[in-house]
Amino acid sequence: MTTEFTNLPAASPTTNGAARDLIIDARGVVKTYRTEDIVVNALRGVTLEVPRGEMVAIMGPSGCGKTTLLNCMSGLDEIDDGLILINGEDINRMSDNKRTEFRAKQMGFVFQFYNLLPVLSAVENVELPLLVSGTKPREARERALSALDLVGLRDWAKHRPAQLSGGQRQRVTIARALVNNPAIVWGDEPTGDLDTTNADAIMDLIVGLNRKQNQTFVIVTHAPEVAQRCHRIVHMKDGEIVSEEVAAGAPA
Amino acid sequence: MNEFFGIDMTWIMLALLGLLAVSLATVGWVFLRNRVMFMIGVRNIPRRRAQTTLIIIGLMLSTLIISAAFAIGDTADYSITNSAYQRLHSVDEIVQVQSGGDDDDGESFFEGESLISAAPIEQARADELVQRFRGIDGVDGAVAVIRGPAAASNLARGQTEPLVLLMGVNPSQLDGGFESDLQTVSGESADLTALPEGAIYLNESAADELDARPGDTVTLYAQNQPYEFTIAGVLVDRVLSGALSIDSGFVLPLDRAQELLGRPGEVDFILVSNEGGTRDGLDRSEEVMRRVESALLGSPLRASDVKQQLVDDAAEISSGIVTIFVVLGLFSIAAGMLLIFLIFVMLAAERRTEMGMSRAVGTKRLHLVQIFMSEGMVYNIGAAAVGCALGVVVSIGIVQVLARLFDEFGLNITFNVTVRSIVVSYCIGVVLTFLTVTFSAWRIGNINIVAAIRDTPEPVQGEKPPVRTTLIPTVFRYLYWLVFKPRGREWLRSALLLVAAVAGLAASAALASGDPATWLQVIAVLVQIAAVLVAVWFLFATFHMGSFLAVGGIALMLVGLGTDQGFFFGFGWSALIFGLAVVLAQLRFPQRPIYTAAGVILLVSWLLLAGGNTPFERVNGMDGGAEIFFLSGVSMVLAATFVIVYNADLLLHLLNWMGSAVSTLVPSIRTAVAYPLANKFRTGMTIAMISLVMFALVMMSTMNENFGQIFNSDEAIGPYAVVAIENPGNPIPDLAGTLQQEGFDTTPLAGDGNGPDGDDGIDPVYQANRSIAEVSQVSNLNEEGAQDWSGYPVLGMSDDFVRNARFTLQQRATGFESDDAVWDALAEDPDYALVDAFAIPQGGFGGPGAIVEGLEPTDETFEPIPFLVRDSATGTIKRVYVIGVLSTQSSGLFSGFWISNEAFNEVFERPELTQYLIRLDDRSQANEVARQIESTLIERGVQADSLRKIIQDFQDQQQGFLYLIQGFMGIGLFVGIAAVGVIAFRTVVERRQQIGMLRAIGYSRRAVALSFLMESSFTALLGIVSGIALALLLAYQLVNTDDFVPGGVDGFYIPWVQIILIGTFAFLASIVMTIVPSRQASSIPIAEALRYE
Repeated sequence: MTTEFTNLPAASPTTNGAARDLIIDARGVVKTYRTEDIVVNALRGVTLEVPRGEMVAIMGPSGCGKTTLLNCMSGLDEIDDGLILINGEDINRMSDNKRTEFRAKQMGFVFQFYNLLPVLSAVENVELPLLVSGTKPREARERALSALDLVGLRDWAKHRPAQLSGGQRQRVTIARALVNNPAIVWGDEPTGDLDTTNADAIMDLIVGLNRKQNQTFVIVTHAPEVAQRCHRIVHMKDGEIVSEEVAAGAPA
Repeated sequence: MNEFFGIDMTWIMLALLGLLAVSLATVGWVFLRNRVMFMIGVRNIPRRRAQTTLIIIGLMLSTLIISAAFAIGDTADYSITNSAYQRLHSVDEIVQVQSGGDDDDGESFFEGESLISAAPIEQARADELVQRFRGIDGVDGAVAVIRGPAAASNLARGQTEPLVLLMGVNPSQLDGGFESDLQTVSGESADLTALPEGAIYLNESAADELDARPGDTVTLYAQNQPYEFTIAGVLVDRVLSGALSIDSGFVLPLDRAQELLGRPGEVDFILVSNEGGTRDGLDRSEEVMRRVESALLGSPLRASDVKQQLVDDAAEISSGIVTIFVVLGLFSIAAGMLLIFLIFVMLAAERRTEMGMSRAVGTKRLHLVQIFMSEGMVYNIGAAAVGCALGVVVSIGIVQVLARLFDEFGLNITFNVTVRSIVVSYCIGVVLTFLTVTFSAWRIGNINIVAAIRDTPEPVQGEKPPVRTTLIPTVFRYLYWLVFKPRGREWLRSALLLVAAVAGLAASAALASGDPATWLQVIAVLVQIAAVLVAVWFLFATFHMGSFLAVGGIALMLVGLGTDQGFFFGFGWSALIFGLAVVLAQLRFPQRPIYTAAGVILLVSWLLLAGGNTPFERVNGMDGGAEIFFLSGVSMVLAATFVIVYNADLLLHLLNWMGSAVSTLVPSIRTAVAYPLANKFRTGMTIAMISLVMFALVMMSTMNENFGQIFNSDEAIGPYAVVAIENPGNPIPDLAGTLQQEGFDTTPLAGDGNGPDGDDGIDPVYQANRSIAEVSQVSNLNEEGAQDWSGYPVLGMSDDFVRNARFTLQQRATGFESDDAVWDALAEDPDYALVDAFAIPQGGFGGPGAIVEGLEPTDETFEPIPFLVRDSATGTIKRVYVIGVLSTQSSGLFSGFWISNEAFNEVFERPELTQYLIRLDDRSQANEVARQIESTLIERGVQADSLRKIIQDFQDQQQGFLYLIQGFMGIGLFVGIAAVGVIAFRTVVERRQQIGMLRAIGYSRRAVALSFLMESSFTALLGIVSGIALALLLAYQLVNTDDFVPGGVDGFYIPWVQIILIGTFAFLASIVMTIVPSRQASSIPIAEALRYE
């Protein structure tokens, strides 16, 4: 089922967000990139609400602004206008340090090219978010090993990324994303660099985690088979959300 | 300067210009044949401006060091030569009674010249010779002069100079060549014939010392009599105005000077002036010398071409100075070349994907080499020019310091640099960089296309070992696999090698055949260089690195054993060990234990080699000089770097453990340490660069500190505290008596003067005139079978000195059980003698003054050595036996050939002067006692000094020079620091995406910046600590060898303050270099960084 989406006016964050238990409440988000000669309107007043525990896929052609939207919602990028509330907090009003700390505690990231540090072992990569948020090294190590256990890689803890397959690397990335028990996990083409078998395995893992832990996932993807395993699919074009649909993965 | 390492600088310049032309032609060929490759290379230059700036800095440092060294050499050459021309002015040759040894002992005329004449010339004879010389073709003047020591004071201004030279010149002989030599500072000619009675001229130095001006009244003390004079004028410092062995001089007409000196009818020299001016008169020196010498046949007089000797000395000294600066700069130059290599390897890493793509679409490996070579050459040409210019600027600074240091010696240092030196420096810089860039490009071109495009790690190089079949064929296959590279155009290699060998031999034959034309010599040298390069390329292209190094190493060790050259042996040993390690790695043994073991073996073996403690006597006794210092430094630094980079993960655990105490630092430490450990090559190169320069600096400081301590020990001065030297013009036969007469309070002096031995605390030593004192070991004959005499300071020991001195001896003759036994024998037998430690070959610090043959510093005892002592003026000879060698410590102040007073009086008619060595009850009063003695005997011109102060003054001067050299070597630190900067800038680019990820998962800006800073600090700190530790270890070994001080030293001194200063500077500078890239890293926009590929 596909419905036309209408941009909504900005609403009071506290009332709306609190009433519907929204973990993400983005309203009228505008992002423009400017170079010397060119102005690119990457996001033209996007509004998106995501309730806690939902898995949302964002799809659209290249350059439509889906990664930009993810970056803005996760606080990796600044917005020019609009409002983004994560867990009820206005992420764009935070100082850089506060936002960094917020990310470390509330968010996890899974990217297409894994972005693991090649010089650290799997377990060292996974424990990094814990260390930056002040967890004691011993405790961090234990939790990192548990996270690796969760993704089935405890035995590979001491291997470096170069010694792991693509699928294993992405599992390490997921373990790293989950180790802090974040409220939201952002995925930017999490299966984009994987073959079908590995991509399926990773999606099984993500869906399983969502079901078991009620983890919120926002996934940017080109792959319909990945999107269909989410609860909802949001379609974007030219910096706007043009439609959304309930995906096959939505609870009955 | 005209020569370097004994080779004419013009030749060096021509050969280097040839090599420069070859380098440029290579890139020119790329431009003409493959313009697109050239353009790709050139267009890469402006891609990253900050990085380009650092590359240029890195490339120019070697040129800077070389050009600074040559400019300093030019300055030294110009200044010394200029000083010689200024002082000698019209004087080209000097005729006098002269020691036969003077020409051989390496001293210049000024240093060797005594204050009084041992053998004067009768004036009538001199006048006759002057007339004869004036008739010689090529001579335009000759004048007879007398000189003698005196003391002077300018009472009106309260200034006294205890030692000046009084010069008497025959005014009637000044016409012709010497008319302009006596010239006032205002440029007027001084007319001696018109000088009124009671008037005198003095030179500029004397005027400065006495603060005297024309019209002032000065008192001259000669023959213990005061004479008052009015100053008629101040003359320019020249030989004729008394600037001879000392600077301060007075000038009178010959007859008045003879009267004052108490030597009527005598002269000391005849000065000869050649036709032509001050400089071009030198061209006639050879022919004039020949004619003057033939005129002197049968007489005891000899002629010296003093001006020529001084010009030659200047060339030798300047060449020596350049050698010192270049050799000590080698560490920095080596570090600079490592930096160039590192820069290009990192540039290649940055462009790896595009290189892979280029290769995929058809670019050949050679094309990649051409791209990098073109880019490198464009950097190179500009950077070498900047380096040359900055080198000149640096040398100007160094010259300013040198000028202050040498000002005390009266040497006026004036900056000067020749176009030739600049051309040579530029060519060396460009050619060295070209070779390094080409080697880097060759290595870079060897990439795996798929791995490069995907930017994944390079697959392991080399094919698998051969399959095992039966034993013998397998052994041969393994050997072949280990030694030879697998594929290639063998026929092309062999043909090229053959052509190179034939061309090289033909060039050698051309050079060896008689006296080939200049152009032929240049071409032959270039052909030889090309042949060597082809041979090296052939070896690299044919053999695996490991086997090549191992076999080459063995060959070099054999060469070393055959020639007794430690350099070849040590080089071969290092190559062998590294080669074996590479071979084992090729055989797939784990790298950590292999390279750790190789590093440790090399470290230990070099330490043993340096200390002469290897189990092999043959190896311990090999010859070596500064090149061994360089080689040992490079080998030890490389060995230590291998040990560090393969084991630094142990440090990681330690740092993590330490960092866990401050939990906010843990994430930064984790990434800061992990990256350098993962990039072994990069980290190793940076550590090696910093370590090399730190090693050189700390080694120099430590050796200098320990060297200084030798002469600071109590042993250096024995029982003495003060030395008082009489003015030969006002002799004092009995110092104690004279002091008492003058009312001097002798209480501080040791001994009461009334005891049974009459000890007054003063022990005289008699010094023979250096221009006539000669010694020769009885067995030392020259080629004609005649005795081979050497000029050497001969000293007569008074009975008091023998009784009280009792210096420690380094070696004793057989039959003498103790040092006291030797001193007792010296007191009883006038035929016994002592020598200082520097008289032994390689004894103390070796040097040109060695006169004893067949005795090594390590020999504990020796048979008494028969020596002859001669007065070359009278021909009197005495045989004595050397039965002891003074310790190195006491040889600093008490060097000489020591004979008994009786023997001294037998050989020499009279001492030139007497030195009084004074013992004090309380040595801390030495300065005060010396000052009081000088002021008491001011009119006698006695010079007194505390012995400790003499040592201190000498060390201060030496220290100044060493600081200067250290400063010069410190330029190399910028290489290491630049490397830290290059890597930091590069890593920001390289890790952009990872930085984005770190920021995404919660690293704050501060944590990212801190991580970068800590990463650079970690690498810099490893290099600094490694360099310091290696230098201290090697210095400890060297200080404890018999070559440093026979018999050993009483401790090892570490100049902690200097080391901490140098280390802190290097550390802080590397931090400063990382601040900008760290800030860049921390401010990278996260979303943009994550998109970056």
